[in-house]
Amino acid sequence: MTPRRVLVTGVSNPLGAEVARRLAPNVEYLFGCDIADPISALEEMDFVHADTRLSVIGKLIRQLHIDTVVHLAVLVDSPHDDRTIHETDVIGTMNVLVGCAGPSSSVRRLIVKSSQAIYGAGPRDPSFFAEDMANFDKPASGVTRDLLEMEQLVSEFALRSERCDVTALRLGLRVTEGTTLARYLSLPVVPVFAGFDPRLQLLHEEDAVEVIVRATLGRHPGVFNVAGDGVLLVSQAIAIMGGSPAPILPPYGMWFSRLGLRMFAGVGLPAYLADILAYGSVMDCSRAVSEFGWRPAYSSRQAMDALAAGKQVEAVEAPSPPQEYELQVYLQQRRRRERQLAAPKN
Amino acid sequence: MIAETTRERRRNSQEAEIVAPPRQGFRVPKPIRRLQRNAPMYAIQGINELNARLRGLAGRDVIDLGRLMEVFQFVYQQRELAKRGANYVVDDFGFDAQFTESFLIAFKALYRDYWRVETTGVEHVPATGRALLVANHAGVLPWDGTMIKTAVFAEHPRPRHVRALVASQFMGMPVMSWFLRRTGQAVGHPDDTRRLLERDELVLVFPEGTRGTGKGFRQRYRLRRFGRGGFVATAIRAGAPIIPVSVVGSEEIYPMVGDLRPVARLLGLPYFPVTPFWPWLGPLGMIPLPSKWRIQFHPPVSVADLPPNAAEDQHLVMALADEVRDTIQRGIYDNLKLRRGVFL
Repeated sequence: MTPRRVLVTGVSNPLGAEVARRLAPNVEYLFGCDIADPISALEEMDFVHADTRLSVIGKLIRQLHIDTVVHLAVLVDSPHDDRTIHETDVIGTMNVLVGCAGPSSSVRRLIVKSSQAIYGAGPRDPSFFAEDMANFDKPASGVTRDLLEMEQLVSEFALRSERCDVTALRLGLRVTEGTTLARYLSLPVVPVFAGFDPRLQLLHEEDAVEVIVRATLGRHPGVFNVAGDGVLLVSQAIAIMGGSPAPILPPYGMWFSRLGLRMFAGVGLPAYLADILAYGSVMDCSRAVSEFGWRPAYSSRQAMDALAAGKQVEAVEAPSPPQEYELQVYLQQRRRRERQLAAPKN
Repeated sequence: MIAETTRERRRNSQEAEIVAPPRQGFRVPKPIRRLQRNAPMYAIQGINELNARLRGLAGRDVIDLGRLMEVFQFVYQQRELAKRGANYVVDDFGFDAQFTESFLIAFKALYRDYWRVETTGVEHVPATGRALLVANHAGVLPWDGTMIKTAVFAEHPRPRHVRALVASQFMGMPVMSWFLRRTGQAVGHPDDTRRLLERDELVLVFPEGTRGTGKGFRQRYRLRRFGRGGFVATAIRAGAPIIPVSVVGSEEIYPMVGDLRPVARLLGLPYFPVTPFWPWLGPLGMIPLPSKWRIQFHPPVSVADLPPNAAEDQHLVMALADEVRDTIQRGIYDNLKLRRGVFL
C-alpha cells in the first residue's frame, strides 16, 4: 500500500513541519493538524485546528478517510507542565487510536513518535537498551511513565487490529537549538553531577525527519530505536560547546539539583534527563538499521559538532513572512470553492 | 615516496598556512622556551651521567633507568591526555584506550614492585578473538581485577585490554562509575557480556561477585557459590572459550575481620568492612597490604564442540560451571603451596 491520504498530527512544531514538507510531494492528499498555527506555509497541505486531547481527532480521521496517520503530537521535551504532557501523550494518543480502530476505519498505517526517554536511566540498567527492554512494570515517573502508558496503548492497538501496520519510533535525544539538553550543554559553566561522566547518544534533526518519512512511505511495522552511531561523553560534549564542566551537583537527591539548576541557570531539567546525565542511556539501533536498510547520516559526535558550529540547520526554513499563512488559507479556500463549482457540471 | 630534503621541508613549512592563531599575552623569550622544550632530554642525559658515575663508585647500578623512563612516560602520557581536549573517541561502552593505558603504567609499578605478582600460563590467553576469563574474587576492593588486567597487558606477547564486568551497585557510585566505564568495564548483565563477546573482546567475570570480596578473613581461599552458572550459558551462546584464572594474594590485602551491616545498609553498600586498619586509621586504612601475589591462567575450556542449544541444558551448564570452579580452586591450592609466605 502506498499512502494516499495522510494526516500529520502536531504539524506545527519544527519536526512535524519538516516531515510534512518532505511528505507533500510524495502523497496525494496531505492533512495537518495542531493546536497552534503552522510555523511555515505549505501549499499542498490542508491545515486543521484540532486538539488530539479531544475526541474530534477521531471524527477527523474518519471523515477525511485518512489511510495513514503520522502521530507526532507526543510531547517529550516541552516547556508545558506535567499535566499537559500527560494529557497530550496518553489521552491524545488514545483519541488517535480510537479514530484508527474498528473495522470501519480506513487507516492502514500508523506511525507514532516515541522517545529514548521511555527507557529511563539507572545504574542497574545494561549498557544498551534493545527494543524489548522497555520495562512496562517498572515504577516510573514523569515523561517516562507517560511514554510507557502511551506505548502500552499503541502495542495493544497493534495486537488488536491486524489490518493496520503500526510503527513506533523511539527517537534519540536531539540537540537542536532550544531543546533542554542543548541549552544545558551550551551553558558557559555547566554544573554536572559530581563523579559522573556518562555516555550520550544523540540524533540529528535531519535523521529524525528522514526516519519518520521512511516509516510513512514504506511498510515497517514494529518498534524501533533510532539514534546516531557511536557515543560521546558528557564532558566531551561540554568541551565541544566550549564550556567547562563544574562538578557541583550532588549525586544523591537529584530533585534538589534540578531545583537549583532551574533557579540559578534557568534550565529546567526533566527527571529523565537528569537520570541520563548521571547514568547515561544508550540504545541499540541495529534493528532499525536492518529493517530500514538505512543508517543515520550523522553520528552522535557529528550531531554535537553541528550544534557547536551553529549549523544544526533548523530543519524548517525560516518562519514565513507575516500574513503568509492567512494568504495560503485564503487561496486554499478559493481553490476548493472553484473545485466545488466545477463539480456539478460534470 | 621521495624523502624531502631539509631545505624543501623548511620551505614547505614556511608556505604552509598557520592553523593555530598566535597566542595572546605574555610569552617567555625564545631561548627559555627552547630550554623548556629540551628539559626532559637534558634531565635524562644528566641522570645517565650520574648513573655512570655512581656505578663507577659503587660497582653496581644504583639508579634503575628503566623505572625512571616509565615515570617519564607516565608524565608524558598525562600531558598528552590533557592536550587532546574533546578530540578523542570512546567506544560504545565508554572505553577510552589511551586513558586506560596511561593508568596501566602506574598499575604496572604496583604489579611488579608492590605485590611482586608472578604470572603463569599467560600463553593460554588468545592473542585475538573472544574469550571469557573467569576468576576468583577476593579482597575488599577489586584490586584483583586491576591486576589481571595489568597482567594481560604487561605479560602477554600481544597486549590486550581486558574488559571486566562489575556489579551494578558500583555503576551508581559517583567516582567509581566514571572510572570503571572509562577504563573499559561494563555492567555485569548477561546482555553486556554477550555484546562484549560478540565484539571479540576479552571479558573478565567474577561469578562470586560481592559474596567473594565481602567474605571474612577466616574464609580466605574458599570459593563461594558461582552465581547460577549464567556465565557458562553466555559463553556457550557466544562460542567463547572459558579460561579459568586463579589469583593468590588478593585475600590478604585487606584482612576483613568484621562487617558492619547496618552501616552498609545505610550507605547502600554490599558490605562495610572492618579490618585492623579500617576505619580506625581513616584513609590510611585503605592502603592495601603488600602481600605476595600469584596469578595463574589455566588452559581454556572449549565450548566450540557443544551443540548450540547446550546453553539451555541446565545440567550441562552447572556441570561446566563446577568444572571451572574446581580448576580455579585447585589452582589456588597449587599456588598457595608455591608461595613461601604471605608477604614473601
